[in-house]
Amino acid sequence: MSLIQVKNLSFSYDKKRPVLADITLDLDGRSTAIVGQNGAGKTTFVKLLKGLLKPDFGEIHIGKTSVKEATVASLARKVGLVFQNPDEQIFKGTVRDEVMFGALNLGQDKETAETRAREALERVGLGHLSETNPQDLSLSEKKRVSIASVVAMDPEIIIFDEPTIAQDHAGKEQIKHLIRGLQEQNKLVMTIIHDMDFVAECFERTLVFNEGKLLMDGLTRDVFSRQDVLHQAHLEPPSVTQLGKKLGFAETFLTVKELVSGLRNGGNR
Amino acid sequence: MKQIIVDGLKYRYPGAETLALHDVSFEISKGELIGVIGRNLSGKSTLCQSFVGLVPHFYRGAYGGKVIIDGIEVKKSTIREMSRIVGMVFQNPFTQISGSKETVYEEVAFGLENIGVRRSEMIERVEQALEMMDMERYKDRSPFDLSGGQMQRLAIASMIAMKPQVIVLDEPTSQLDPQGAEDVFQAVERLSHEGWTVIVVEHKLEKIAQYADKVLLLDGGRRVDFEIPSKVFSRGDLEKHGVTAPVYTRVCRALDCRMKDSDVYPVTLDAACEVLKKCP
Amino acid sequence: MNSISLYTERDSIIHHIHPTNKVIYIFASILVPILLPSFAVLLGGALFGLILLLIGKVFKRALPMIGFVFLILLTVIIIQGLFHPTNSVLVFTIGPAAFYQEGLLYGLTITLRVMNIVGAFLILVLTTKPSDLVDSLVRRGLSPRFGYVLNSVFQILPQMMVSMKTIMDAQRSRGLETEGGLRVRIKAFLPLIGPVVLNALTHVKERAMALEVRGFHAEGKKTFLYEEKSYIATKPIQWGIWAVIGLAVIGRLMG
Repeated sequence: MSLIQVKNLSFSYDKKRPVLADITLDLDGRSTAIVGQNGAGKTTFVKLLKGLLKPDFGEIHIGKTSVKEATVASLARKVGLVFQNPDEQIFKGTVRDEVMFGALNLGQDKETAETRAREALERVGLGHLSETNPQDLSLSEKKRVSIASVVAMDPEIIIFDEPTIAQDHAGKEQIKHLIRGLQEQNKLVMTIIHDMDFVAECFERTLVFNEGKLLMDGLTRDVFSRQDVLHQAHLEPPSVTQLGKKLGFAETFLTVKELVSGLRNGGNR
Repeated sequence: MKQIIVDGLKYRYPGAETLALHDVSFEISKGELIGVIGRNLSGKSTLCQSFVGLVPHFYRGAYGGKVIIDGIEVKKSTIREMSRIVGMVFQNPFTQISGSKETVYEEVAFGLENIGVRRSEMIERVEQALEMMDMERYKDRSPFDLSGGQMQRLAIASMIAMKPQVIVLDEPTSQLDPQGAEDVFQAVERLSHEGWTVIVVEHKLEKIAQYADKVLLLDGGRRVDFEIPSKVFSRGDLEKHGVTAPVYTRVCRALDCRMKDSDVYPVTLDAACEVLKKCP
Repeated sequence: MNSISLYTERDSIIHHIHPTNKVIYIFASILVPILLPSFAVLLGGALFGLILLLIGKVFKRALPMIGFVFLILLTVIIIQGLFHPTNSVLVFTIGPAAFYQEGLLYGLTITLRVMNIVGAFLILVLTTKPSDLVDSLVRRGLSPRFGYVLNSVFQILPQMMVSMKTIMDAQRSRGLETEGGLRVRIKAFLPLIGPVVLNALTHVKERAMALEVRGFHAEGKKTFLYEEKSYIATKPIQWGIWAVIGLAVIGRLMG
């Protein structure tokens, strides 16, 4: 089922140099990673999906709603976007109030919002910090607070911008777990991300952006098997994929587990 | 004689209940590239700041033990004096820009103006630093008009223009894209080749494994290990200390393929490939 | 480049006059009319300012600002013309409104006085790069710390405007309504301004540390990357302005 339809989307900030040129794609329920160099147009793309920017040409439909005609605040019900820098949104005195803010904006009553906030904080592993002042948290905790504040709004589509920044091993595991949980709830999870190892482990589908164009759109495994495409987009395949290739395997490995069993079975070398 | 001696360092931030650093000791020789790893809040940043004197002189708080760099004890010195010996690059490239200069070129000169370097020498040093960080072509740009990776290289250039003996980088690539991170790491490696002592905090362990001479593993403010990368990353209890070994190491561990004539696993792509090809 | 400075790059003699001389000129434009409050002095001063703006090739840039100030001052002239307490000589009437000479002249005097100062100020800001001004002040003994603050205002404010935009997007994304009536906007104020302030505060700490390790508080004499720009006739102009002020003082004492 198609959740987002993008047709011939083009955009430029100054009406001269296009930042995005003629993007057409359909997004369904599969978790999707958006990769590409800085300046490839990834952030602009998700801002357009969210209605924060208006396209020069083309159409975006979220379900039946045309993004052009909806206000940002009304789209907030359907599409949640977690910004890269949590410092650019956090302003409340406690973590719980911060996480409730979005839910309250959507018109939920205080009780529901509180319950949702509590659940969302549990899901990012910060349940014990709900009474803390967010300004006393580390960057990685703040980042997870900002994630929870969007999860608490319970949108159908959640878009992350670099969720793994500043996260250590435990933080990454927590986010991985959250993403899987959201998928099980049948939400569309998308992310802009630079961490290819993380993409390989968590996302079914990958969009490669390069210089404002959609260079490739496919299953993550297929994308990472295309050295030529990755090279053109100045990206490196995940470490595990690189090792598999270097060992002479024809297939593309995405996880340590896959490669290990490939090696055990002798594989296709 | 070792260039850096850390001896029984203990530190607690003002108002904190627990120690940020707990009896940490190790020594570093001139020209070594040291990677510092550990989970968040394990004391990595605090340790970095103790080299340049921000701990304890900027934060104050309770301090015990010694940090001696080039024969100077940090606690008995000042930040001003230490910053001539130790150059530091912070995590957020944006906050390191002085904000008072209009071009990259002027920005690199900022610190040199402050410490009163002669004009002719200043120009020479600025140009050298820009060249080393591959930033010459941006010299007339506004520092704010740079990408994250370029900004971070500007921060490093500004620091090396001051000609410190030791260079400390606190998670310099955490906010950069892979290309930016790779550029910064290559710059760091160049510094190391030029003979500088470099200490770098980093979450990207594949990079540490590739570039570092030694790895310092911290957990809960304590030193867990201080060894060559392959030894540290071959530890069985690594995850208990909040760190995942590089992918290459994990694959080899799963198959129990060790380096030739030793009990450690490979930590880089090339080494892993070689070992796995021979491993039964 | 992103900047809040009004500086307009042109090649003119005025651009090559020392920034401190322009500051002294502002000083003179305030002081002389106070010392010699005659209509001729005021008019002469205002005309002189306009001529300098013309020579500096920035008259066109200055015009809207002068026009704006003049519009405000026009109301002063009207009100004084109607209601000044010493009004006695009627000049003209528009319907029921009667305008008197004393009030009109008084309003005009105020207008010219302000124009004098505005003109002098515009000469400074339109023909001087802010960093050159700060630089020359630091070389003349202004604390480098203070100089840094002045300089950074011109650089960091535009950056704050950029981050304000991101903050707005982030809060709108969480369903915050920012468009609409006054009530809606007041309600949106805190979520928007909160992160700006908090962000600035955390940045201040990090920036302070970064500055500290770059020798910001180093003792001893600071040096400069650039040699001081060469300015024309710095001393003669400086003495010239002082002489005018001096003459005004003498004129006042004698008169």
